[in-house]
Amino acid sequence: MEIAILLSVGISNGCLYGLVGLGLVLVYNAQGIPNFAHGELFMAGAFAAYTGNVLLGLPYGWSLLFAVVVAGAIGIIVELIAIRPISMHRSLGRASNQVAIVLATVGLMIVLKGLARIPWGDSVRNLPPAFMTETISIGGLYLSTQRLLIVAVTLVLVVAISLFFARTALGKTMRATSLNITGAKLIGINTGHVYSATWGLAAVCGGIAGMLAAPLIFVHPDMGTRMLLKGFAAACLGGFGSVSGVLVGGILMGIAEIFFGRYFATSMIDIFAPIIIIIVLLFRPQGLFGSRQALRV
Amino acid sequence: MHFLRNNVFLLIFAALLVLSFFADAYTQYLINLMLTYIVIAQGLNLILGFAGMFAFAHGAFMGIGAYTSALLVTKLNVPFLIAMPTAGIAAALVGCAIGIPAIRVSGLYLAMVTVGFSEILQWVLKHWKSLTGGPDGVIVPAPVFFGIEFRSDFHTFAIILVVTILMTLLAQGIIRSRLGRAFVAIRDSEIAAQCNGVNVARTKVFAFTISAFYAGIGGSLFSLTQHYINPENFNLYQTILQFCMVIVGGAASLVGLFIGAAILTWLPELLRNAQALQEIGYGLLLIVFVIFLPRGLAGFLIDKGILPREQYSPARFGWFSARRRAPEKATRS
Amino acid sequence: MTPLLKIENLTIKFDGLTAVDNVTLAIGQGEIHGLIGPNGAGKTTLFNAVSGLAPATSGSFVLAGEDITSLQAPLRAAAGIRRTFQTVQLVQSFTVYENLLFGLHTMVRDPITSFIIGHRRDPQLDIDADAAIDHVLSYLDMSDLRDRVVDSLTIAQQRYVEIGRALVARPKLLMLDEPTAGLSPAQVERLDNMVAKLPADWNVSIVLVEHVIPLVIKLCDRITVLDRGRVIASGTGADISSDPVVQAAYLGERIDA
Repeated sequence: MEIAILLSVGISNGCLYGLVGLGLVLVYNAQGIPNFAHGELFMAGAFAAYTGNVLLGLPYGWSLLFAVVVAGAIGIIVELIAIRPISMHRSLGRASNQVAIVLATVGLMIVLKGLARIPWGDSVRNLPPAFMTETISIGGLYLSTQRLLIVAVTLVLVVAISLFFARTALGKTMRATSLNITGAKLIGINTGHVYSATWGLAAVCGGIAGMLAAPLIFVHPDMGTRMLLKGFAAACLGGFGSVSGVLVGGILMGIAEIFFGRYFATSMIDIFAPIIIIIVLLFRPQGLFGSRQALRV
Repeated sequence: MHFLRNNVFLLIFAALLVLSFFADAYTQYLINLMLTYIVIAQGLNLILGFAGMFAFAHGAFMGIGAYTSALLVTKLNVPFLIAMPTAGIAAALVGCAIGIPAIRVSGLYLAMVTVGFSEILQWVLKHWKSLTGGPDGVIVPAPVFFGIEFRSDFHTFAIILVVTILMTLLAQGIIRSRLGRAFVAIRDSEIAAQCNGVNVARTKVFAFTISAFYAGIGGSLFSLTQHYINPENFNLYQTILQFCMVIVGGAASLVGLFIGAAILTWLPELLRNAQALQEIGYGLLLIVFVIFLPRGLAGFLIDKGILPREQYSPARFGWFSARRRAPEKATRS
Repeated sequence: MTPLLKIENLTIKFDGLTAVDNVTLAIGQGEIHGLIGPNGAGKTTLFNAVSGLAPATSGSFVLAGEDITSLQAPLRAAAGIRRTFQTVQLVQSFTVYENLLFGLHTMVRDPITSFIIGHRRDPQLDIDADAAIDHVLSYLDMSDLRDRVVDSLTIAQQRYVEIGRALVARPKLLMLDEPTAGLSPAQVERLDNMVAKLPADWNVSIVLVEHVIPLVIKLCDRITVLDRGRVIASGTGADISSDPVVQAAYLGERIDA
């Protein structure tokens, strides 16, 4: 009985981690860089939803759309202003472009956090849940509707993204570019568009996750960093190579985290993600589903 | 003495010494804090700027140093003169322990592994209440030397100045030695390093160790300037602040650190009660510098010929010395 | 005469690919030994294995009578093996002087005290290092570039610096991986002439990977031809150029010279 509840919490948490991790993986596959600012896109989604729903009084569905648009826009703008100039930059001498981009994303992380703090301050807000009935009974178990929504939306989104990559022209273009950027440029792919699309998509994932999570956790400017670590742990666990791998990694992590906290040490839940990151990266850096990349000498 | 040839540093330290006779308490506090950050950031510069390793655990090492020093003084009545080096060594040991597994990965993965360690260390500081007092923190008493209590910030300035001078000399010694060259070689071409006799793994671990040592000593000094420490002082934000100092001042430049630490100690004080503005300020600084001035202000000054480039061999000529052989200006594309 | 380097039954496999297949090869003292073969033949992999960068799946290396198979790359360098790379691997932040000083990494000692106090000059060591570096620079006719930061030099100059970094350590074996790539014909000729004199002037054996066959035949005492990881021919320049197996490997068919 309790196990079922724990599982439901773990799986829904895991879906969130998987979504956030997915955003990280998309950018990493496309540009080879970790996006430290990704947690803030999660936060942006949550705040956008809050604005839409609570401040503007929009119904939930519209708030979701609003959150998606805002998050996507921020992602694209950020890429255009801060990342593009560096990746197109002349050689930076000592610092490689990648190093510079990483630092730029760190800077972005702080800037976005600060920007959020100006209107919202340090107080925590609460977003009301999606459905009026907060729990429903399925087979004798009382499950949270919000959590069910999370799982449902995540599955739909992941399927949609997989189809997008497999079937649409833009999706295939993005995959091609991530495999071989020089080749992509040579055959005339507009890599700028690909980058924008990648960041936009990644931001949308993060933003949706933020909006879905908002009713369950408090909305405040610092919520992004914690999520970043968990998303990263999910991506490590699943392996940076595959979309579905990240989701599985996230779910595994969500479940393991909950059980770890319940049966082992509740206070250690906070550092479960860092521990996973360290263990995975040191012992099996390619994760569960990734492939080891060959070393070029 | 070789020390006399390092004119720039001498001038800076002398100026600070003179300034402190006229400074009010607040300015003195800022000077102390700036010097503390110079020590800490020098450690970060060694591993990040010179060795090119993205280690994000520096704030945590600083915390270990601060807590070791504070706890030794408050709980075991160890005199500060002993507590401080012990703090450095404690941090160095942890740095070494973390470094050994961490160097097996690089780049992005190293960054995340060190962030992970940093979070864990901070959690330990918060939750090991019996030892660290948890979130309540530790109150740091004024240091006592030979029975005299150094109450005022001016007195602590004396200690901090001496320590900073020593640590700067050490850093310069390292940069100009085999070890310093090995660091830079690892950063610019790990393959060349290996094929010229550098044991890359061991050198990387040493980079962790020595940078953590600096952070530990700096943390101990930090506890002096603040008179009170708690786990929140040593989170990821702290590490990012230090990164900013290194980037803004100039990675792989010893003088650059002075510049970076100066800017980033005084700047937050101007924006003291607006955390949001501070964050936006740091973030923008980082982004702008990374795009336009990737080698920091020192790099800019070196390119303009105002500062001499960092030397990696035992100096034959001091800076600004008349005997300096004018190197042909390297034009960078 | 005992060979300087004896490679026996070397096999290197990775990712399911056999890059080097049971290669046995001997480099003589003071010899210039050419290593040629079509692209992908395994030449650079072989170099990597000798310098310790690529692990050998099986086989052994014996340098001047000592088995160095178990030594890692830094120790092989200390044992006297130095090399250059297809893409120049210099420390771009260093000056020419500092790069050559770095080449002496295994030989320059810093007493502990020099770390702490600053650089207490050990007169003997410093003079030795400086003298060695100056000697190499004048040999390569690059003394005026001594304090130039390397990233401002041309490719040709950087290649010379890379060779200089190897020479200053007085290696027993110097491996040159396509040193003339990207150079103009005049530069190639100049480099050749220098390489030809290296064994005599520096008491070193050379292994040279080159694509330009006439060059190899002119410079090298003996040549080994690799194809798809295997040695398909070995001998003097004359032997090789008339060997039909070699011709077939390069051209895909027999030709009449």
